[in-house]
Amino acid sequence: MLKKAGRKSRGRRSLLWPALAIPGIVWLALLFILPMYVVLAIVFGQQDPIFRNAIPVWNPLQWNSAQFQYVFSNIFGANAIYGPAILRTIVFVLIASCLCLIVAYPVAYFTARLAGRWKGVLLIMLIAPFWISYMMRMLAWVNLLQNDGLINKGLSLGGLFNVQVDWLDGMPLTVILGLVYGYVPYMILPLFAGLDRIPQSSLEAARDLGAGRFSAFVRVTWRLSQPAVIASVLITCLPMLGDYYTNDMLSAQPSTSMVGNLINNTVLTPGQTGQAGAFVVLVLAAALLPMLWYVRSTRDEGARS
Amino acid sequence: MPDQTVDNPDESRAHRFVRPPLSRRSFLQRSAVAGLGAASLVAFLDACASSNINGATPSGSPGLQIATPTNPVLWPISADNPVIAAGQKPEQGGVLQLYNYADYIDPNAVKSFEKKYAAYNVKVQISTFNDTDEAMTKIRAGSVPYDMYWPSYDQISRLVNGKLVRPLQQSYIPNIKNVWPSFENPWYDQQWRYTVPYTVYTTGIGWRSDQVKQDIGGLSNPYASLWDPQYRGKTAVIDDWHTAMMLPLLKAGGTDMNVTDPAQIQEIGTQLTAMQAATKPRVTITMYNDISTGQLGLSQFWSGDMVNAVSYLPSGQSPKVLNYWFPPDGKGSVDNDLMVILAKGKCPVLAHLFIDHMLDTTTALGNFSYIGYQPPQNSINPSQLVSDGYLPANLASCTVLPEYFDVGFRLLEMSPSVTALWQQQWQKFKAGG
Repeated sequence: MLKKAGRKSRGRRSLLWPALAIPGIVWLALLFILPMYVVLAIVFGQQDPIFRNAIPVWNPLQWNSAQFQYVFSNIFGANAIYGPAILRTIVFVLIASCLCLIVAYPVAYFTARLAGRWKGVLLIMLIAPFWISYMMRMLAWVNLLQNDGLINKGLSLGGLFNVQVDWLDGMPLTVILGLVYGYVPYMILPLFAGLDRIPQSSLEAARDLGAGRFSAFVRVTWRLSQPAVIASVLITCLPMLGDYYTNDMLSAQPSTSMVGNLINNTVLTPGQTGQAGAFVVLVLAAALLPMLWYVRSTRDEGARS
Repeated sequence: MPDQTVDNPDESRAHRFVRPPLSRRSFLQRSAVAGLGAASLVAFLDACASSNINGATPSGSPGLQIATPTNPVLWPISADNPVIAAGQKPEQGGVLQLYNYADYIDPNAVKSFEKKYAAYNVKVQISTFNDTDEAMTKIRAGSVPYDMYWPSYDQISRLVNGKLVRPLQQSYIPNIKNVWPSFENPWYDQQWRYTVPYTVYTTGIGWRSDQVKQDIGGLSNPYASLWDPQYRGKTAVIDDWHTAMMLPLLKAGGTDMNVTDPAQIQEIGTQLTAMQAATKPRVTITMYNDISTGQLGLSQFWSGDMVNAVSYLPSGQSPKVLNYWFPPDGKGSVDNDLMVILAKGKCPVLAHLFIDHMLDTTTALGNFSYIGYQPPQNSINPSQLVSDGYLPANLASCTVLPEYFDVGFRLLEMSPSVTALWQQQWQKFKAGG
């Protein structure tokens, strides 16, 4: 009797845990897998010949890869009209991510380890930018950076020098700094979480065993914070890859177009919706590789510890 | 409009600020042109024109008849979509549903219409869309029975073929007499069976005289100034492939803005690349704002947007700084917008009466001062617009003359395969390649 009851409760428990995953699975199915299928049905779908709107084809057996091939050949083929924008995106995102890390790591480090009783206040201040819409923050920069804006006025020290930097006239630097400004909060938070978890005792042990401040940082803090660094770089990189409004607002010039702009341009054009879908699929594939690598590396990490 | 701005800039700005960041003109133009010719996969499109799987049948025959000034079209009236009877009373208690761009109609024009037919307890409701693609999708879906819609003439073929518009009972619209005679039998809709004109506009060059020392309008080739390296970082072109891509054609003295020769289209792309190298233009549709704040010095411009730019100037700034050039002989790009009655609307009589109301001279002028785009009214002439305060003297060139439509160039629909070639050059330009 007792034995039976025990088995029964274990059975109930083993059903309970998978059941807890149901909301997540439903969420994923409704908001990721299903939309992804719609995107694919449009990429490989048809068009209304009069109104040119996309007609999704739901049966994969009837899919037509013409739009996908068109985009693919224009990225990698001899007629690579999208090539420069793709390359530019990679360079912009790499530079912006490095700058983000350079800014975010010391801030997160200070907040996690040195801020003491100010930690809570600092954290709130770091989260504060989230309360204002990204669009509003970029619009504020447009005002600051315009030719007679505060930045140029500041640089000229109140008219002492004649500074006329055309910040908003298609400067790659402006776009990159815009990306850094926009996404740096997303990097600070995971870094903070990672750094905050590092036990003080490990550092004390390193110092006791003769490591200097720098050596202790490199061998203990930096090593232990690496998963957080990778996670935070990924969290900022991925939205940057699809970003188009930073560029639209701070430059609006083709000379700084990124992949996000290509998607935005095509998705708004009737007859090219399928191409926009093809870009989305390609960006997803490009983003998936580092993501898989991250999942793998953290799993190894877990297995080791 | 300028008198409002000068006398009471704050009030004028307040109502301007509720507008979306993109002007409805820009939206209209961009999406209308894009909507018609945005195919980029010739083979693919041809394929779907012949085979329509999945039960998604197009509303009409796949072959679109394209109207051009040299090939005017008389659209058929089908038995299942007839002209309504003449002499009917307005729908009692009717709600007239307008489907338009945001702020593309003067609220006072709507109010005076409601007042005029107060005995029938008439209400007008305005719904807005962001681009004509969205609008066409919703009109086709028919979930809201909109009575009226504001397209451009390059959509008319799809609207008629899809039986989305109702043929007009012209006896309700005596005010057509106020409209330029050329619009009583336009090439895109012979005998004005389905459309009446709403606004007219030109596409030229706008500049700020404090940033641009040359008198652009006085140059031998004003279009070439957009390739002049001394204006690097100060210029812009309109973010619409057909509108911007006609610039190389205009610069070269071309008269056909719808070229089909692949070599010529390739040359347009080469010229755009040269422009990119010389001046790094912005590609935008907010020039009316950017030129007023001084971010732009020289730009391709729609005449109506230049009129709007006056009300975006910082307070105290004289509108004299703004200039607009369009070839005085009219040999430049001219276009017009339309009003149509939708087939699924519930108040066809009211819709006809509303069209007549909008063609009334007083209503049309009030509407002009609100939206900045000129109605093709006989009563309008350049000296009157300036003396009545609709335009500052230095922007008299924003006035659109009827003669322009005899000699001006049109942006027409093109075949999918030609469009694909144009679009490929545009995509290359926009990708910064």
